[in-house]
Amino acid sequence: MSQRPGALAGSDGAAVAPPTRRGVRTRGFRLALVAPAIFVLLLVGVFPLVYLIVVSFQNITMTDVDTGFQGLLNYRLLATDGRLWEALLHTLIFIAIALPVELIFGLAMAQLFIERIPGRAVFVALLVLPVLVSPIVAGANWSLMFDNRFGPINQIIGWLAGQETALLWTIRPTLVYPAILVAEIWQWTPFMFLLLLAALSGVDRSQLEAAAIDGASWWRTFRKIVLPAIWPVIAVAVLIRGLDLFRLFDIVWALTRGGPGTMTETISIFTYVKGFQQFETSYTAAVALLIIVLLSAAVFWALKRVELAR
Amino acid sequence: MADLRITGLHKYYGSVHAVRGVDLEIPAGEFAVLVGQSGCGKSTLLRTIAGLEDADAGTIQIAGAVVNDEAPRNRDIAMVFQNYALYPYMTVYDNIAFGLRARKTPAAEIDAKVKQAARTLAIAHLLERFPRQLSGGQLQRVAIGRAIVRNARLYLFDEPLSNLDAQLRDEMRGEIKRLHQELGRTMIYVTHDQIEAMTMADRIVLLRDGRIEQQGTPLDLYEKPATRYVAGFLGSPAMNFVDAELAFADDGAQVRVPDGPVLGLPAARVQRLVGRPAGPVVLGLRPEHVGHASADASRPGVARHVAAIELVQPTGARSYATFRLGAAAVVAELHAHDVSQPGERVELAIDMNRAVLIDPSTDRVIP
Amino acid sequence: MKIRARRRLALVLRTGAAVALTLAFLFPIYWLFMISFKTPDEIFAYPPKWWPGQINFANYAVLFKDGDATTVWNSLVIAGVSTLVSMFLGSLAAYSLARFRTGGEHLANWIISQRMVPPIAIVFPIFLLYVWLGWVDTYVGLILLYSAFNLPYVIWMMRGFILDIPPALEEAALVDGYTRWQVLWKVVFPMCRAGLFATAIFTFVFAWNEFLFALVLTRTEVATYTVQVTHYFGGQSNFWAKISAMSVLGTLPVFVVVAFMQRYLVRGISLGAVKG
Repeated sequence: MSQRPGALAGSDGAAVAPPTRRGVRTRGFRLALVAPAIFVLLLVGVFPLVYLIVVSFQNITMTDVDTGFQGLLNYRLLATDGRLWEALLHTLIFIAIALPVELIFGLAMAQLFIERIPGRAVFVALLVLPVLVSPIVAGANWSLMFDNRFGPINQIIGWLAGQETALLWTIRPTLVYPAILVAEIWQWTPFMFLLLLAALSGVDRSQLEAAAIDGASWWRTFRKIVLPAIWPVIAVAVLIRGLDLFRLFDIVWALTRGGPGTMTETISIFTYVKGFQQFETSYTAAVALLIIVLLSAAVFWALKRVELAR
Repeated sequence: MADLRITGLHKYYGSVHAVRGVDLEIPAGEFAVLVGQSGCGKSTLLRTIAGLEDADAGTIQIAGAVVNDEAPRNRDIAMVFQNYALYPYMTVYDNIAFGLRARKTPAAEIDAKVKQAARTLAIAHLLERFPRQLSGGQLQRVAIGRAIVRNARLYLFDEPLSNLDAQLRDEMRGEIKRLHQELGRTMIYVTHDQIEAMTMADRIVLLRDGRIEQQGTPLDLYEKPATRYVAGFLGSPAMNFVDAELAFADDGAQVRVPDGPVLGLPAARVQRLVGRPAGPVVLGLRPEHVGHASADASRPGVARHVAAIELVQPTGARSYATFRLGAAAVVAELHAHDVSQPGERVELAIDMNRAVLIDPSTDRVIP
Repeated sequence: MKIRARRRLALVLRTGAAVALTLAFLFPIYWLFMISFKTPDEIFAYPPKWWPGQINFANYAVLFKDGDATTVWNSLVIAGVSTLVSMFLGSLAAYSLARFRTGGEHLANWIISQRMVPPIAIVFPIFLLYVWLGWVDTYVGLILLYSAFNLPYVIWMMRGFILDIPPALEEAALVDGYTRWQVLWKVVFPMCRAGLFATAIFTFVFAWNEFLFALVLTRTEVATYTVQVTHYFGGQSNFWAKISAMSVLGTLPVFVVVAFMQRYLVRGISLGAVKG
């Protein structure tokens, strides 16, 4: 018999307390569904983390394998490593420039396409292509474009300037940042564009029509009606792109390898070099942990702001 | 043996105590309607019977066997959902056959059963169509078809007609009732519509706040409500409630309406009130018990009252006229041509034989 | 100007802008494709010509002859299998999370956080682990890693799509006589077909285009095409012909797949973002 006596009694319900466990019948099923995924995630998610923490407190370098506890040795090195903080700075510069440009440009494009244009579907489909290309290929592509002798960019500039130009986009210190930024913005603005196009099409038409009848200017309508409506999407888009930009590696690697020198070295490239070229294992672990902590803090802060805004 | 027996059922939805100790017994072949306002626990109760929710306490027995721990598929039930729950990418035929295929029924048998059910529900010509091509009424028939083709012991209906327009609902009510007569199966039907409950049920189970307020035949609940809630729930337009005073005089008992008339109670009624103290009482009058005085040539227990008509709402054969009994607004049911303008003074006959007296401190009807 | 004429002018201008934008964005891709069809003389002609004299497949032939083209095959195997694995495991987990809220907030948040992990942070420990396991330069190694890396995304997306399906459909099937496993296969997955496709496409493209993990964890046996492309960058000069041809080989399949699945894609992006 499956009557559950004791705790639950009284036909008037007064003495009955709410249960704290879920349906027993489905427990095996729902756990079985989730188990394999969690297992795989643990394998790849927990082990590296544990490893990093342990190793960062040791002193394994290219020459030495000292697994004794070293305390905060690596972390102190980390704090004084100029190249590390420069790499962070470079990364922040990329984020600070690329993100707003992609956002504004993407929004402008979405605004352009939100109203009917003949063949809109075709345009949108074609404009998505840069996103589908591998970032490595995008970098290689723009290397080609920026080539000092055989690239069309220099050629076009030459036409405009009236004289032959052979700019070394991937070598000259003043040009490497623009080059990388152009490639990055070229590749990811369509992503923003797609997201924002979807968001814009979700804006309540009747509100826009009411505003038009009321005589509101385009800018006022945009600011008061459109922007608040698409704000959640913008927040998500900024979060995703921001995270991706922080991890910037492929495009820079293809264009400059972080050079000239370490001028365009992002934090990811710095870590790669330290780990796989200089084999500073323990130090790299500390750096990796630093990156995780910084990223988590940034995401946490961003999510808090989104929650508060809601 | 009862087809469904529930004892001491409790069910929580999160922290909400949705079903608070329900005892219910439905004999085989009965059409029971669980009715009540939204949030009263009727849907929760039905879903718990189906096994889509687990009971937190109490037992559910279907055909004598305790089924608390059984999956829905093992409870020998069929269910019709409010939103039809039809599979959009399957034809009507496949939708109806879906359940039979689960039980590995041979194809020939499936075919016969599906076609039979389709004929019963007059949808045989729609078997090759897809749900998106059907109207609401047709979709509902397909959903019912899927249920009846299974030949289950218990049929559960979860507000199946709520999504249909009024005319269609009237039609389908009759169809479902006819289906029950044809199949003779036990059916448990959930609705918030008291008209559906009255017209379709062999037994009405009126639920309120997770408990059974009263159960019985429709006429039982209509004529002999146990509480004010039941009295006010069934019947359209609803029963009128007037705050009044019960007083005793030498020649009998009266209901005194403040700032209003004194209505005498018939002798039979007075007898039943022996032992009751005088005091505040709520007078319940159904509109059909207040009519034109000229139609009734002085019957005992019928009080006469002249009042000005405030509002007239014609509905065809009858008109509902609002007047005042003291300070309270009361709706009377009059013949359409007996009332014309608001403001007219008419003489009304109030049938105190059928009036309901309610104790305001317990909200229970005084028998 | 009358309002009708103004509207028409606006339409013309907007269409013109759309055309110009599309051309500008596609130009680099055109250039890449075009270079791959040029002969070495044409590539190094100065000033650079904007179209090839004739369509020349020599560059591609070289890649196939040298065996470099097998890297595209490697990419296909790795991306394809890992997509299947992560779609399968992820969709099942997503159903558990969507319908039963298994693990509650904590599990959901943990899974999301896994997506935020920067590859660079974990690539080193993973590399050492793989060395120890002997999984460097194997299919298994990279497939497992990509599957794991894509799982959070698949779970997140599919959870949203599953929540869109009315529970009554599954409940009807349960009452009709199906087990929960059967309900998954016969009702749930068919209902969210569009979502499955969209998510699968994204997952595949991500794995196909990935570079860092492939760079670290492959050598000669299972190098993917992204790694192969970088091999053509030299200190002194770059093998433009090979770079462009290999890039095209690696990019064309994605274009083709996406072209066919286009309508699922837009729905996928917008649903993922707008739902949040």
